[in-house]
Amino acid sequence: MSKTTTEMALDLEAKRLSVVEPGTRVDLQGEMSDEERVEKAMTNFAKDFGRVTATYMEACIHCGACAHACPFYEASGNPRHTPIWKLEPFKQAYKREAGPLAFFYKAFNLKKNVTLDELKEWQELLYDTCTMCGRCTLICPMSIDIATLVGMARHGMFHAGLVPHELYTVTEKAQREGSPLGATPQVFEDRVEWMGDEHEVDMHMNEDEAEVLVLMSSIEIQKYPESMAATAKILNQMGKSWTYRTDGYEATNFGLLSGNTAWQKEMSMKVIATAEKIGAKLVILPECGHAYQALRWQGANMYGKPLPFKVQHISEFLADAVDSGSLKLKTVNSTVAFHDPCQISRRGGATSAPRKVLEALGVKLIESKSGGSMNTCCGGGGGVITIHRADTLRYKVMGAKFRQLGETGAEMMVTSCSNCRQNFDDSGEKLNWDKQMNSLLELVADNLVEEAKK
Amino acid sequence: MKEHSLTLGEELRRQGISRRSFLKFCAGVASSMAIPATMVPAMAASLAQARRQSVIWMSYQECTACIESLTRAFSPTVENLIFNFISLDFQHALQAAAGDQAVEALRNAMDENWGKYLVLVDGSIPLKDDGIYSTSHGQTHLESLREVAEGAAAIVSIGTCAAYGGVGAARPNPTGAVGVEDIITDKPILNVPGCPPIPEVMTGVLTSFLAFGELPAVDRLKRPSAFFSDTIHDRCYRRPFYDQGKFAKSFDDEGARKGWCLFEVGCKGPITHNACATMKFNQGVSWPIQSGHGCLGCSEPNFWDKDSFYKPLSAGQWGSAEGIAIAAAAGVALGAASAVMSRKNQDKISGGK
Amino acid sequence: MTLLDFARGPAMQIAIFIFVLGIFWRLVGVWALRQKKDLSEPRQKGAWIGGIKGLYAHAWPYKPFVPYVGAQYIVGYVIHLGLFIVLFFGTPHMLFFADIVGFTWWTLPGGVITFVALVTTVALFIALTKRLVNPVQRLISNFDDYATWFVTTLPFVTGLATTANLWPHYETGLAIHLLSVWLLLIYFPFGKLMHSFWFVVSRYTTGSRFARRGGMA
Repeated sequence: MSKTTTEMALDLEAKRLSVVEPGTRVDLQGEMSDEERVEKAMTNFAKDFGRVTATYMEACIHCGACAHACPFYEASGNPRHTPIWKLEPFKQAYKREAGPLAFFYKAFNLKKNVTLDELKEWQELLYDTCTMCGRCTLICPMSIDIATLVGMARHGMFHAGLVPHELYTVTEKAQREGSPLGATPQVFEDRVEWMGDEHEVDMHMNEDEAEVLVLMSSIEIQKYPESMAATAKILNQMGKSWTYRTDGYEATNFGLLSGNTAWQKEMSMKVIATAEKIGAKLVILPECGHAYQALRWQGANMYGKPLPFKVQHISEFLADAVDSGSLKLKTVNSTVAFHDPCQISRRGGATSAPRKVLEALGVKLIESKSGGSMNTCCGGGGGVITIHRADTLRYKVMGAKFRQLGETGAEMMVTSCSNCRQNFDDSGEKLNWDKQMNSLLELVADNLVEEAKK
Repeated sequence: MKEHSLTLGEELRRQGISRRSFLKFCAGVASSMAIPATMVPAMAASLAQARRQSVIWMSYQECTACIESLTRAFSPTVENLIFNFISLDFQHALQAAAGDQAVEALRNAMDENWGKYLVLVDGSIPLKDDGIYSTSHGQTHLESLREVAEGAAAIVSIGTCAAYGGVGAARPNPTGAVGVEDIITDKPILNVPGCPPIPEVMTGVLTSFLAFGELPAVDRLKRPSAFFSDTIHDRCYRRPFYDQGKFAKSFDDEGARKGWCLFEVGCKGPITHNACATMKFNQGVSWPIQSGHGCLGCSEPNFWDKDSFYKPLSAGQWGSAEGIAIAAAAGVALGAASAVMSRKNQDKISGGK
Repeated sequence: MTLLDFARGPAMQIAIFIFVLGIFWRLVGVWALRQKKDLSEPRQKGAWIGGIKGLYAHAWPYKPFVPYVGAQYIVGYVIHLGLFIVLFFGTPHMLFFADIVGFTWWTLPGGVITFVALVTTVALFIALTKRLVNPVQRLISNFDDYATWFVTTLPFVTGLATTANLWPHYETGLAIHLLSVWLLLIYFPFGKLMHSFWFVVSRYTTGSRFARRGGMA
């Protein structure tokens, strides 16, 4: 697949010497014939087609508006990065195999069979340049939920062994070890204990019964362990019956991101079973976008019936707490710009929660242009941040994000997703950003009004 | 027989018609037939030299309105003289002779002018059952037409029936009636359709034949282009109302009284090629639209069978509610079938996983 | 049978038959697919309100997008409104429908309709130019996009030509105009013109799905 370097255009705008499209490398998993790969991609894609997704496939009028909502297209200016184009082979497959006129298209060969070369080409489009942030749906005159369709297309890609290596590796690791980034139950337990000692917080680990089950994402466990202490501090302060559990702690769901529904279900079921076992009434999700999507909105569908407990993102939990007065916060004198994680705000519906919390903190929130539910994605979600060849464009996306946040003139940057935060940290270092992205949770934990312990 | 040897010029002079009024007539015919003005003197000269033309008028399955229209319209003018100048050797509605005598006159005229006489026909010709539904003097009109046409220099079909079958050929056409051009294919034929046709068109065609010795230029329906190239709608004095969107909605409403466009009450002017709007009838007295009725399209083939005279032109024959219901039901069935196929396919894929 | 007789009779009946059949085929073909129930706990009740909201929320782009696609929307509206006005308020067109539905309504003067049709045709050509010139649109366009443009534009062009009487024979022009409309009807169910139905379904679906979550669509 690789071309020689002479065929590639140099990217002279990059900080280090680079080529314009380093993404021409294509990753393949497993031993399969070409035909088999195509077949698997198509069947696993067509398998889950329902009325809703079929409607979306039918409704597109090829107006191209979605390009302008996509942070990747806006950063690259490459028409291939137009959101709906990322679905092209799958749209062809739908029309040829599943749509109402499939017979027609097939009989006259009006829609060509998808080829392996096309699928290979689309690996970059479906994984490297889409975070499934869903901003394209906002601009679409037909209101097509492209993000969901990209998720479905990824099902086909996974089973055809066409996932970028890094994403595949972390997914496979998550499936095998229970965590994508090496946060095994033992590691988790050790780090919780470490944080408990470090911050002098009572940690509740593996309680047999608890009202609240708290999950953590491996990003927090490994990179931002303070989150674990902060959550514990707040829950202790509120006097909640809560616990961490080594048999169900991992909030991320790489089955969802990579496109393996079976694994997605396994990963969700682990948490659901644990919550059921300890009789939890509430499962608190950490600052993680896709985790919210996976459990809050897809968990019950994996489980096959409504969940016997409530699911909240930590920001929702905090908002309820400040609303009910069970959590008192000190005033923070600062202006704040809030970066909305797509999966929690736009696609999750919890846009107002962090704003309530920030209000309780007394900060002055300055909304960025196109903020709130219309927020521009940081470009790191959906597994994109794991893919190395996607870095160049991801940094470009983040460059625009930095400018947008900079325009608010706010002193402090806050978000409620550790994957976004990770991306801000990585890109900030790379692009010499003069700011730091902060966690809403940690900001709250640092500013608790600690009442005398009973 | 002596008059036959006179030229038209001599005949005119004999009758005291001035050269001035003759030229005026020629200019009038020329302009109505779009012949360049420079041609007028040559036309006049040629016409003045013309010898009396033998004309045989055959009436078949007809109503006599065509001949009525022609004879009624003629005041004693040059046109009248032109008509008098031709030797109308046979016309059974007008001639005094009848029966064997009349037929003899026809035979004589044919024999004397074989290959040179002009045949005018009005009325359609039945073909069904060997044409027995319409006969004269023991001979079917089909046979009669073939016989007369054989020695003709050219044939002019007068009226929509002779041209295209007309009312006789209207559905269900019990006699199998057709127009002349469907039977005679080896002679020059010109159609002057209309129910009835405009008399001046007839004169123009005859004059042109006398002057130039051949039939004038025709369109694809063999009509003289000079008179039939525009539609009624193109030349209609009510056209401005159409453009302004002012329409009579019924024959007794305010719009009708104000003389607005009759499109909504079924006027077929836009698809009818004829000169009514400019030449009118009865020496320019009036014409159908002027008298308040929409054009029926009487000079067009099959005008009887083109739906109601009172249905707006833009309304088509959309079929029936049943037809649409069948289409909808078939669509639902096809849609359901394709969805079932998709579902089965999905089950197969999921099962095989 | 003349071309006009054919256009007003059999061609029209065939076109309407295919039009109705195709529309039902395509709609039912999608609606009869399975749809798994969403079992997640809704954030709020009355998702259908969000669905209704979705219908008009996408009628104009959200503020941040206006500089990018505002002009495209305006051209789109000119085409759609022009089509609507000419189709329903041109007298001959109204009479066509009146013959089917059995009642008449108010129409615009022919001159106004001609002007609207001209403006719409210009807008259609602008849209085509953009599709050919804009890299994004050119990339994502397929046969359907151009075919749809063609069958939509053709009735405007033939209609204007018939009004201006640019044809050698008016009735042939009228027949061609009618036939161009039947072509549109026949193509309608099989291409993206079906968006006249899908836009309602799709907007409602997304609107209600995200209203259920409390998110934005």
